[in-house]
Amino acid sequence: MATIRLNVNGIVHEKEMDPNMPLLWVLRDILGLTGTKFGCGIAQCGACTVLVDGQAVRSCSMGVQSAMDKNIETIEGVEATPFRSLQQAWIDQQVPQCGYCQSGQLMNAIGFLKSNPNPTDEAILNAMSGNICRCGTYPRILKAIKSVVEQSSKNNGI
Amino acid sequence: MKTMNSRRDFLKRTGLASGGLVIGLNFLQSCVNEVVNIPKNAAPLVDLENGFQAQGALSVTDFLQIRPDGSVFLSLTKYEMGQGVSTGLSSILAEELEADWEKINIKYIKSSVSESDITGGSTSTLLHWDLLRKAGAFAKYLLIEAAAKEWTVYEDQCYAENGHIHQHGSTVKLGYGELVEKVVVPESYQTLFDEVPLKYQSKFKLIGKSLKSKIIPDIVTGKHPFSIDVRLPNMKYAAVLRCPVFKGKLLSFDASDALRIPGVEKVVKVDGVILDAATHIRDGVAVIANSTWAAFQGKLAVKAEWDLGENAKMEHQKFVADCLEQLDSNRGTEILRIGKKINTSEMDQIISYTYEFPYQHHACMEPLNATSHFKGDSCEMWVGTQSADKIIANIEKHLGIPKENIKINCHPSGGGFGLRYSSEYAVESMVVSKAAGGDLVKMCYSREDDIKFDYLNPFELNKHTVGIKDGRPLFWDFKNVMANWGGLLGWMYYDIPNCSGTQITVDGFTQVGAWRSVMANAEGFSTECFIDEVAHELNRDPLEFRLSLLPRNKMVDFKHSYKCNINRLRGALELVAKKAKWGKSMPEDSAQGIAVYPYMHGNGYGAVVAEVSIANNEIKVTKITASIDCGLVINPDQVRQQMEGGVIWALSAIFHGGTEYANGVVKRSNFHDNPVLRINEIPEIEVHICENDETRPWGVGEIAGPPTYAAVCNAIFAATGKRIRKLPIKKSVLAL
Repeated sequence: MATIRLNVNGIVHEKEMDPNMPLLWVLRDILGLTGTKFGCGIAQCGACTVLVDGQAVRSCSMGVQSAMDKNIETIEGVEATPFRSLQQAWIDQQVPQCGYCQSGQLMNAIGFLKSNPNPTDEAILNAMSGNICRCGTYPRILKAIKSVVEQSSKNNGI
Repeated sequence: MKTMNSRRDFLKRTGLASGGLVIGLNFLQSCVNEVVNIPKNAAPLVDLENGFQAQGALSVTDFLQIRPDGSVFLSLTKYEMGQGVSTGLSSILAEELEADWEKINIKYIKSSVSESDITGGSTSTLLHWDLLRKAGAFAKYLLIEAAAKEWTVYEDQCYAENGHIHQHGSTVKLGYGELVEKVVVPESYQTLFDEVPLKYQSKFKLIGKSLKSKIIPDIVTGKHPFSIDVRLPNMKYAAVLRCPVFKGKLLSFDASDALRIPGVEKVVKVDGVILDAATHIRDGVAVIANSTWAAFQGKLAVKAEWDLGENAKMEHQKFVADCLEQLDSNRGTEILRIGKKINTSEMDQIISYTYEFPYQHHACMEPLNATSHFKGDSCEMWVGTQSADKIIANIEKHLGIPKENIKINCHPSGGGFGLRYSSEYAVESMVVSKAAGGDLVKMCYSREDDIKFDYLNPFELNKHTVGIKDGRPLFWDFKNVMANWGGLLGWMYYDIPNCSGTQITVDGFTQVGAWRSVMANAEGFSTECFIDEVAHELNRDPLEFRLSLLPRNKMVDFKHSYKCNINRLRGALELVAKKAKWGKSMPEDSAQGIAVYPYMHGNGYGAVVAEVSIANNEIKVTKITASIDCGLVINPDQVRQQMEGGVIWALSAIFHGGTEYANGVVKRSNFHDNPVLRINEIPEIEVHICENDETRPWGVGEIAGPPTYAAVCNAIFAATGKRIRKLPIKKSVLAL
């Protein structure tokens, strides 16, 4: 056990925990931030995607120690950022069905658009290919991301 | 019809409560003849809503509640798993209630007795259509009466619109919230409910519109209440090491290493339970811990010895060989006989082929989980389930808790697709809670557990034979071998005068369950690939040949819930052919394939044209055009969503589906070796909805899959000359 300090969505948490526990389970079981989902545990499905220092990472495969003192962003924090436009696009395009993978889809899309704000369709498809959806919402995920990209190129930024 | 015990009983559950106008499920149950399986409203007001702390508001445990602030709450008697019932069913209610759509909220039910509803077969909307219309109209009627009394005018001077009662020719209006406490429930409430006038369908304002989903705003902010997200005071986490082989037994286990893992608190034995031939709770060892992670780690550290039993000897090749032998035997149950037996020697030609549809994994994005609290003579559970009543019945039967003491808090879930039609994982969590001495435990499957202990789509072989006389099929014979599951459909919608069908059930290596579109997957695939082969052998165009065997104005009786309406089936086929420009010239190494299938559990009809291209020996599905006739359309965009999803579900099964096993153990374990379709593999998908004369909604969610398999395989044949009679397939043409 060790004292771990985490900055999640701008709030600092300090708790005793197993330092080897993956960030996913710390977020879900210890901090109660259940918007981040468990899908596979081996970084194959993307359901657990969060941002660490702005980069999309699979929280199921990142030990909590490596996230210490970094800026962690989860789905619960997105509404307070300019990327709420992506959440709105998800609503406008009626993307989710069951919704379980969508926190991860959104976080992955945010991480991608941060590094590549004006992507081609092919780049979007490649960037999103690590996030599985079993309901088959893929066509709408593509549409929603494209709509945000189009809007942001008109507005010079998200 | 059940009758209400007394007016007092009625008022207790329907009428004025501190929370406004409440219409209880008991009342609806007593009034609606055709709906018998809806939950009773026996749940008391409680502190915890779906496992989450209530926001200081009154609990909504009733079917329909209109609160003084004008908000309307509908308790979902069908299970939300992504198919959109929360939005679709709410819109039916809102239509008749003339409610303000923005003020409609949904609640997930608490089932306290064994009368909750099963969700499956694409039947939720069609089964609750009448109930929801009447409930909305009934409440509206009471609100109009209250307003008329308030204004001292006749009821016919009032009308309802957008959450208010208005007076004709006046600007005076009262909001529903302002009226609820003035509502008087009449003596003749039951007659009133039965006879309450419904709207003319031409006046519908919400039904038929693509209203936005009621659950998506919570999904995109991470607040949608999946059962895996339940957090309760004093809750422990559990993971179970299960016997790797179906029907195997636990001999002994050693928990010493597991107990040394930080956070692991207990390790207990799970005694298996046989529920039926297809589904068991397996023998196992449960690890109870203070986090999911610790429970998973503990599980990996448990050492167990098993008696693996007979199924450990199962080898797939031998199993398939045995199934093929059965197909050619005289074994089986005749379940279909139309016309007479035909002497095959009198035919000009006999065409016969066998098709194989494999075991299939669900791989729902939310791994199976349930939170249970065993309290001796009562218990409580938080779970996403398609069949709360099966859970209750099994807990009563196998754990001895009277059903009235069993409380199930139903949650929406991250996919169901038939997996959550099985109740075993839920009952298993209660067995674990009991074994752990009554700890409140959230039991979660790892992804490896979810794949290895999946209730697989049953393996199925279909053998089709037709006899051709004077260029037309004169008889059709259909035989099916299915693992651990009965249920040959034998839906022969083509106009063939003499038909026969035989069902043979065999013992497969593992547990099976429902899988989106159920038996229509194998039979849609095989029937529509076969008819394409027959057309080809008779030198007929696949579309024209199908249409020639689908005479207009015919209703075919499959001795199933609904008769197959050939006009609607034809309509779907003709629409898809037109939209996809069937027969258009295609680039080199590209081709179209077509298929149509009725999904009679939900009386919906679908057709698909697939376009494939071959480049560098690799098959690529470039476009899917799909059509659906689902009767009256409640929400066109949700219909399109379900069709898109169904097409992708089927494409995933075509290229990545199936499973492998050795010594009775599923070899697949996670998404690296159980791949599913990813976003960079999808074709363009176009969905068209048939116009029709139906006055009620029919099924939607399971329509797309069956014709998609066949259309894609028929297109591959048209492009390569190679017939596909077995799924899954590799993308390389060389592997066909």
